[in-house]
Amino acid sequence: MSKKKHPKSPLYHKNQKKSIGIAKQAINSTEPVENLCKTCAKQDKISGNPVDNQSSTCANPEENSENIVQKAQDSVQKPAKNPVQNSENAIKVTGLHKSFHLPTERASGLKQAIFNWLKGVKGYTEHKVLSGIDFEVKKGEFVGIVGRNGSGKSTLLKLLAQIYIPDSGKIEVNGTLVPFIELGVGFNPELTGRENVYLNGALLGFSNKEMDAMYDEIVHFAELEPFMDAKLKNYSSGMQVRLAFSIAIRARGDILILDEVLAVGDAEFQGKCNDYFASLHGGQTVILVTHSMENVRRFCDRAILIEQGKVAAEGSPEEVAKAYENLWQ
Amino acid sequence: MGFPNILCQKNRILLGELVKTDFKLRYQGSILGYTWAVLRPLLMFAILYIVFAKMLNFGNDIPHYPVYLLTGTVLWNFFTECTGLGINSIVGRGDLIRKISFPKYIIVVSATSTALINLAINLCVIIIFALINGVAPTWTWLLVPFLILELYLFSLGISFLLGAINVKYRDITSIWDVLIQALFYAVPIIYPLSMVLSSGSFGALAGRIIMLNPIAQVIQDVRYTLITDATMTTWSVINNPLLRLVPFLIVIVLLIAASLFFRKKSKHFAEEV
Repeated sequence: MSKKKHPKSPLYHKNQKKSIGIAKQAINSTEPVENLCKTCAKQDKISGNPVDNQSSTCANPEENSENIVQKAQDSVQKPAKNPVQNSENAIKVTGLHKSFHLPTERASGLKQAIFNWLKGVKGYTEHKVLSGIDFEVKKGEFVGIVGRNGSGKSTLLKLLAQIYIPDSGKIEVNGTLVPFIELGVGFNPELTGRENVYLNGALLGFSNKEMDAMYDEIVHFAELEPFMDAKLKNYSSGMQVRLAFSIAIRARGDILILDEVLAVGDAEFQGKCNDYFASLHGGQTVILVTHSMENVRRFCDRAILIEQGKVAAEGSPEEVAKAYENLWQ
Repeated sequence: MGFPNILCQKNRILLGELVKTDFKLRYQGSILGYTWAVLRPLLMFAILYIVFAKMLNFGNDIPHYPVYLLTGTVLWNFFTECTGLGINSIVGRGDLIRKISFPKYIIVVSATSTALINLAINLCVIIIFALINGVAPTWTWLLVPFLILELYLFSLGISFLLGAINVKYRDITSIWDVLIQALFYAVPIIYPLSMVLSSGSFGALAGRIIMLNPIAQVIQDVRYTLITDATMTTWSVINNPLLRLVPFLIVIVLLIAASLFFRKKSKHFAEEV
């Protein structure tokens, strides 16, 4: 926990400036798809990766669909090669296990607990959520994690974010990690918009001074200038999400973990989210948990399919997306 | 996760914001607002004063009895408020614990800080009352913050211990409510300690045991330093020099044990809360 970068370190500030730049870029861009392709092309130039069918996110997926189905089925057995090679690990997970205690009878009271203890009843059953997860994320990679409801994605995410402690296994994190399990953590309906911005900022690790500097841009981006002194409970849900999102995209870390919560809101907001994802592509290490195979294909360098607490497939977005869609067949 | 981390800037910012939020939300939607912070102990004092000082004639032998009584009620109020907020803080902030990773003690410290702010406001009221009542200010007043720190650390120890258990067994809140009622009568707030000590051999023993309680020790010591030398303190009631240290030992041992327990349990708060 003490590994986290000090807010005063020069890197922290550098990253922050970058974030403001990204926000501006996001406002100006009207065509998300075009923007994405530009970013992609740029990324390929920088990293010097061969743009083949599997690692390219720009290529039209329909073109080679026949070919890819074949590969996807193979990939369930053998993990595909890593598109970003010869690079340092950002995250390395080995043999991760996690189980939860589900209470069988009501054991939330002291009395019941004593009874259970006297009778030798455990009062809970063990529910295994993750049973041996191994994967690596290289620096600068955009990795998607997919899986059905209840497959253990969120648990994995919370383990990465250090909210849960693993039963066994190891998580090595190289750099600062900023998790977004949910937008607007700590938002309080009784506080004004302004107060909530500072509170949420503090939870993301920003100082008051840093928030002062960013405040106007956050409000401008959320398009909420006239409402900042109104209480949050008087905001519409869309306004709340917009405010939370504009704060969230300011957060900078070496590794960003994004849950699918970012995929809410209307079409315009979706556009902003997509611009944001696209802006992260290239350089920023991102782990995106999503149900949208469209997003996996568009943004991810690599994807991981989690099924029943295990890595069921790992490889190019296309392969994993197919494997995911095959789960229901 | 240890205490050295409290100096880390990120944690300090978070603590500051949480304290601000708690304090702002405290009297949200009430007309009198922060005035309640002062009004509550004053009203409680008024009731106790009418019943015990006027109707039952308690404290005739104690100079400045009204200030004496007010000091007791304010400090007692601080203790109940502090532990009440502290014990429920982890459960109350479950939404944060489930979504971000940060040292959990920040929650307890921020919740109890609200009570500390209220106490600071109330101490100003006590000082005004004392001056009106003709108490002469002395240098010993400067010792009061240290005694309050002792009481705060004691409350913090209780909050860490019971707050951590409360996550799993919510009965703690109800048990504590009853326990604190019993404790109120075990601390010489409304009755003068001299009344207990002079009521037979049982009373003499009970009075000494009462003074081993850190709450009683702090309240009596604050009264002694702030108001009048006529106050009976742990020092004056107990002659054994080792026993005189018992209240301090209770505070230190409880705080260390509770912190370690809290630290161990806090790893699983996110799953259990």
